[in-house]
Parts: sequence; C-alpha cells; structure tokens
Amino acid sequence: MIANILTNRIVNDIAGGTAQGVIIGLVALCLVLVWRATRVLNFAQGPMAMFVTYIGMTQMDHHANFWVAAAISVAVGFIFSALTEIVIVKPLYHKAEINPIVVMVGMFTLLEAVASAVWTNIPRYPTAPFSSINFQSEGNPTGLSPLSTFQIGAALAIMTLVAILFNYTSLGLKLRASALAPEVSKLLGIRVGRLLTLGWGIAGAVGAVAGVVISLNPGGLAPNMLDAMFILGFIAAAIGGLDSPLGALVSGIVIGVVMQLINDYWNSNYADMVAVVLLVVVLMLRPQGIFTKNSTRRV
Amino acid sequence: MISISHLSVAYGAIVALDDVSIEAPTGAITAVLGANGAGKTTLLRTISGLVKPRSGSITANGHALIGERPDTIARLGIAHVPEGRGVIAEFTVEENLRLGALGAKTNVTAGLEEQYTLFPVLKERRKQYAAQLSGGERQMLALGRAMIANPQILLLDEPSLGLAPLVTQDIMNTIKTLCANSGLTVILVEQNAKSALKISDYAAVLHVGKSIAVRPAAEVAADESLRSYYLGMAE
Amino acid sequence: MSGTFKRLAWVLGGLVAAIAVASIQSGTDAANLTKAGAYCIALVGLSFLTGWSGQISIGNSGFMLVGGYSAAFWTLHHPGEPVAISMIVAIAVSAFVGLIIGMPATRLRGPYLAGMTLAFAVALPYVPQSFAVSTLGGSQGLTITPLSAPQWFFNLFDTNNTLPVVINSRFTAMVSVVIAALVLWLMSNLFTSKTGRAMRLVRDNDVAAELVGLHLGRTRAQAFVLTAALSGLAGALLVMVSGTASPSTYEFGFTFSIALLTLMVLGGIGSLSGAIIAALLGVYSLQITTWITDHTGLGPDSWVSAKLPNLAPNMENILFGILLIVTMIFAPRGIVGLATGLRQKLISVTRR
Ligand SMILES: Nc1ncnc2c1ncn2[C@@H]1O[C@H](COP(=O)(O)OP(=O)(O)OP(=O)(O)O)[C@@H](O)[C@H]1O
Ligand SMILES: [Mg+2]
Repeated sequence: MIANILTNRIVNDIAGGTAQGVIIGLVALCLVLVWRATRVLNFAQGPMAMFVTYIGMTQMDHHANFWVAAAISVAVGFIFSALTEIVIVKPLYHKAEINPIVVMVGMFTLLEAVASAVWTNIPRYPTAPFSSINFQSEGNPTGLSPLSTFQIGAALAIMTLVAILFNYTSLGLKLRASALAPEVSKLLGIRVGRLLTLGWGIAGAVGAVAGVVISLNPGGLAPNMLDAMFILGFIAAAIGGLDSPLGALVSGIVIGVVMQLINDYWNSNYADMVAVVLLVVVLMLRPQGIFTKNSTRRV
Repeated sequence: MISISHLSVAYGAIVALDDVSIEAPTGAITAVLGANGAGKTTLLRTISGLVKPRSGSITANGHALIGERPDTIARLGIAHVPEGRGVIAEFTVEENLRLGALGAKTNVTAGLEEQYTLFPVLKERRKQYAAQLSGGERQMLALGRAMIANPQILLLDEPSLGLAPLVTQDIMNTIKTLCANSGLTVILVEQNAKSALKISDYAAVLHVGKSIAVRPAAEVAADESLRSYYLGMAE
Repeated sequence: MSGTFKRLAWVLGGLVAAIAVASIQSGTDAANLTKAGAYCIALVGLSFLTGWSGQISIGNSGFMLVGGYSAAFWTLHHPGEPVAISMIVAIAVSAFVGLIIGMPATRLRGPYLAGMTLAFAVALPYVPQSFAVSTLGGSQGLTITPLSAPQWFFNLFDTNNTLPVVINSRFTAMVSVVIAALVLWLMSNLFTSKTGRAMRLVRDNDVAAELVGLHLGRTRAQAFVLTAALSGLAGALLVMVSGTASPSTYEFGFTFSIALLTLMVLGGIGSLSGAIIAALLGVYSLQITTWITDHTGLGPDSWVSAKLPNLAPNMENILFGILLIVTMIFAPRGIVGLATGLRQKLISVTRR
C-alpha cells in the first residue's frame, strides 16, 4: 500500500517537482531579499550565483572536497554581492527606476562572458557526495534520490536560517527597518548604508547555495546554467509578490510541481510557456502578487 | 545646549532657511513656531544631518554637527521624532522600541522596562502592529522610541499634528515631565503655538525662512506683534 | 526657421544615405547596412518606450519574432503579392501581441514589467518549436524567397564589374535604410505631437497626467503597442532579406533583447540620432571590439589570450557589459548626451 503510493507516477512527479521547486524558491528568495532591501530587481542574480559557484566548485579540481568548495562559493557569493552593491548599485539609489535594471543587465552580460572566457562553455560536473539514483521501494523507483533529498534539505535549511535571521534577531530587525524605512532608521542611529550592503551580501550567499545545488543537476555547471532558473525564480517571486519571502517559496514549489507534471504528462517544451502564461495571468489579476498585502503601509 | 548660527538651507532655487540663528539652552524646552512652509521641518532635518546646509554652523554639546551622517548624529545623543512620527507601521510596538535601543546601542531590556513604566499603554499593546495604534498612541510610541536611546537632546516635529486637543495636552505634559526629570534639552517645533508656549521655556519664531526672535516663552506669548507670524494662535 | 532647418537636415541626411548605399563596394558592408536599418527600427521602438513613456522592455526580441514569422507566413501563403503587404501584416500582428502583453504591463511598475517582458522573450521561441509544427516549421522555421533587386535596379549598375550578389545587397540595404528613414521621420513627428507630449507627461509625472485627464493605462498601452509594431517591422525586414524565420535566429532570442537594451543605452535613451548610432554600433560591434583589443594588447596573440583561449570570442560581451555599467553610472544619456554636453561646453567656452 505505502509502496504503491511511493512509486505512484503523480506522487513521484510531485516529489521530483518539489525538489526543483524548492530551488526555484531559493532563487526567488534572493530576488525578494534584494528587492525588499533596496528596491532593485537584480537581473544579474543568476550570473552572479553562477560566477561564484564556479569559483568555489572549481576548487574541487585542486583536491578540495565538496563541502569546502561549497563553503568557498557561499563565502565568495557573500563578498561579491556586497561589493557589487557598494561599487555599482549605491550610486544609483534615488535615480530613475530603470537605471539599476540596466546596470544589472550589464552585469549579466559581463559575468556570463567572463565565465565563458575563463571556464569555457563546456559544462562541468562537480561530483556530489550523494547518489542521484532514486530510492527504491519494493523494487520500483520513488520520486526522490539521496541527491534530490539533499537539494531539498539544503534549500529549506537556508530558507529557515534566513527566516530566523530576519524575524528573530536584532540584526534582522535592523535589516528590515533599513529596508522599510531607511530615513527613520538613520534617525535612530542605524547605519543603513552598511545594512543594505549586508542585505545584498546575504542574498549573494543564498544565491551561491542555489548555484551549488543547481550545479549538481544533470545540466551541470555552465555559464548560462542559471538563466532559465532565474526566469522561473522571477516568475515565482512576481507571482508570490516581490515583497514576500514566503510567497517566493510557495510559488516556487507550485511552479516546480506544475512544470514537472507538464513535463511528464505533456511536453517539456510547454513547461516554460505555461510558467510565463501563469505569470501574465497573475499579473493581470493582481499586479502586486498573490502574497503581498494590498497596500504596504509606509510611515 | 544646541546652538545654530547663520544657518542657510536651500532646495535648489527654493531658500528654506535664510541666516537663521537659534540657541536652545540645556535642560530647557525651546519652542520653534511658524506657519506652514516657514522652514521648521527643514531646521530639524538639518540638525539631524538629513539635509545639507548651504552655510552656517550647528554645535550640540560641543560637537560640530554639519557634515556628519544622520546616524552618527543620532548616536551623539540627539533624538529626532520626525514630522508624522515615523513609527514603522509594519513593526510591532515592541519592535519599534527595540529598534530605538539597537540604533543607540543602549540596553534593550532595561530600556523597554523604563519606557513601559513611562507609557503603560505601550506595554499593553506591545505585540500589536504600530499600524493599529491611534494617533496619540503612535506619538507615545515615537516618544518612547526616542527616549529609549537616552538622548541629551530631543527634537520634536509637530507632536500635536492630527491630535485632539485633550490628547495634545497629554502629550505636551509628558514632554514637560520628560524634560524636567532627565535634564533633557528639547527643541519643540509646533504650529499649535498655544499648547507649545504653555510648556516651553523659550520660543523662537520662524517666518519664511528667517528667525525673528528667541526669547522667553512668556514674552513671546505676550507679544501681540509676533502673533501674526505664526498662524497657530487663532484668536 | 528651425522647421526649415529640420526639413533640410532630413533631405540632406537622406541624400547622404542614398549615395552611401549606392557606392558601397563590399557585399558585407551592404549586408551590415541592411541589418543596421532593421536594428535602427527596433531601437527606435525601444527607445521610444523607455525614453518617452518611462517603461522598460527586455522582451522586444519576442515581438521581432512575431513580426518575422508573420511576414514569412504571409509571404509563403500569398506568393507574388507585394512585399509591403507582408510588412503591414507583420506590423499588425505584432501590434496585436503587443496589446495583449501590454495590458498587464500598464499596471506594472518597472522591475515587474522588465521581468515579465524578459520571460516572454525567453518563452516565445518555444512556441513555433512546439505548436503548429507543420504550419510554423518547428525548429527548422519557415523559408521564403528572399527579397531580390528588380531589373531596373540592376540596370543602374555596370553588371560586368559588380557581382549580382553585391547589387542585390545594395538593393536590400537601400530598402532597409529607406524604411528606417521613414520610421525615424514618423517618430520625430510623433515626438512633437500631442500624443508624444502626453506620453512624456505620463513618464515624468503620472499624477499630473491624470489631473489633466490623461488615461495612464491607455497611454502606456499605446506606447507598448507602438514598440511592438516597430519591433515586428524590424523582424519582418530581417526575414524578408534573409529568407528564413527560425526559433534560433539571433535577433529572435532573448539575448538580442538584452543587446537592444545595451545599444539603446549606449546611443542615448529616447534619442533618434542615438538610435542610428546604436544601430551602427550593433552591426559593427565585432569589428569595433577587434579594433579595440588589437590596439590595447588584448588581441588573440597577446599573453592574456594565450592563457585564456576562450577570451577572444567573449571580448565583445565583456566590453559591452562594462560599457553598459559605466555608461549608466557616469553618462546615463549615452553617446548623444555626451556629445550634447561637449557641444554646450564648447559653445560656452567660445562665448566667453
Ligand atoms: N524636499 C524638498 N524639496 C524642495 N522644497 C522643499 C523640500 N522640503 C521642503 N521644501 C520647501 O522648503 C520650505 C520649508 O519647508 P518646511 O517643510 O521646512 O516647512 P515647515 O515649516 O515644516 O512647514 P509645515 O508646517 O507645513 O510642516 C517650503 O517652501 C517647502 O516647500
Ligand atoms: Mg513641517
């Protein structure tokens, strides 16, 4: 009976879709973090994560083990994102809304080109410490493998950490205040500029986790590996509402599952289109996303 | 003691403050009166470092303030309750208060305790979102959040804005008590001149960017010729 | 006075362009000019949207795809009909798609809109690959007879000394430049018209715009439809010349949307002359990059390239990425803005 459920086609799709969906949610979370902090939609989120994933994971060629390489990616992700904020984003606050968009698009182009120049376009396949062969139940495969379980676990763990940081710590309170009411925060003695940089840094670290986790997928590590993921992450973030971390996670999972079902029962080419159609429909009905409260009150 | 001398501020072509000099003595309440657009808010924002002046100087307890960042100025012991109170609506009452203590790096637990005894209503509502508070309660929260930083100087921008006369009275009395108990130097910007003059020691009048007088509050209140400059005193 | 001057400038510009096209010796340059005409049209469309209605789109390659496919489809099913009709059909269809995409767009703020259009551009090439494969040609795309020069055009040249291919390229270049000039002229009129002013008001101050009775959503949607129509025309032009519309056409992929955005910013947002400069920059970017790398010691023979053999093919994008960031931070009005600034400085210096 349980074995039947575990190996049922739909259940398998839901499990596999959740594994991908959680990663989409993770990418969406990065976008939401940066958006909430600085009202910038980071179009270079994907390439930034890709770039630092390369920096860390290629250390495995120099005999670093997987965990050390992943840790390097995350640390570099933090530093790189924080530096990006200081050097090219700070000059653009209080400028027209499209200026930061354009700059981050420039960053997108630059990083993908540099990555391709340094590491070529041939994908690399970091060896994961987990098997990608699905768990078996009475001889039939279930929807999850040790690898995908690890991917889900890592993504959820990072999200939980971020949630705790933002909601239950003093630092989180200051971060949220700097994002919501920068001027009032300054008047209270809070170093807003520094906290915004920190916010970018955290998003960069989360992005690096997403990058590492995605590099273990069959597509491997490639300069454009996060392009599709970024689009899906954006769709998830926009559907959930760019201000809502929980919305990002939930819509990420929903999109992952829906796409998996479409892949399995219909045609894999349709999956991306369905996501876009979903986005257009949601934005037509609720431009601010599903999970954002109608009017976010400002002081 | 905070002294402002020959301060001029402009927003592009609009001159908001023109050669303004005001002194606010330690431990006293100095009211700054003036009609809409007189430059009262600009004055406080310049003290706090949010606005860069064209010329002039501001010193507070021996520190030159001009050119310092707003957060540095705040940590020098200058608390600013901005126009419209500036409570963060998405935060609970307690989160707002904690933020004040965190910014000033003062003890959070002791500070909360102190403010809750001072403003019992805030203790009752500590888990509620600031968005759900009444105007008077919000003003209490803003005051509490400023006081939790143990400031030496308190800048208040129209605390009576949008409050009923009785609530205004209440707030004004609270300010008076705070000042008397802790030797606080207060600059109180108001359009509601009558209420402000009642609790103030000194008063200055701003009129289209120029300071007209800094004299004992009672004198200002008695001076008929000054009344036309601040519209708050409808009689 | 300034009106006469303007008209004179148009005529002069047209003459210079015509002479330039007719005297092109190399087929590559003629082909590049053809492309530049199409790019210019697409850039004017995007520049108008961003510079004049304050919206941003990273999805115009999608509209180009729609236009390109529509033109190819129509031509296939109505052989022998004038090319102009295919173009008009392309404009109409892409304008319609622009309306559909523009509808939510009117309610969205910058970043949402940018992300949504990007998603559209990414997903669109999958449509002909997955749907109606028999009518849209699947991943092969549609193939038509490319535009060729009529006899009278051949008669203008000494066919013994010039290859027919080159004459043909000259013809397509001429067609492309003429259409681009027409678009530029129409748009310059639109910029000064009532609609143009309305759009500027919506961009600068939507509250004021509503107060004077402008319908924000409608104005924004109009801008979007216009952008889509121009992009569609550009796509159709490319297809008519090359003879193929396929999902893998460079100009139909989302990277071209990004390239368009980059070029527009470099040229100067909202400026017509900026669009012309940007279009030329776009088609000659590889040559420009090569020139730069050769003169800075970063070329294929340099020590850097010895270490990173993959650097050379990526140099173009590296340069453009850096240029885009630097331009946006230090010279947000692009090349045209820099030139205007320089001219004003010169004038003020000479006046002194
Ligand atoms: N950010 C700004 N940009 C341009 N002008 C400004 C700005 N802030 C204030 N002003 C102008 O400066 C002048 C003084 O404004 P300020 O807000 O200091 O007046 P106020 O005395 O606080 O008025 P009120 O009683 O209405 O609050 C006004 O003419 C106002 O229009
Ligand atoms: Mg004011």
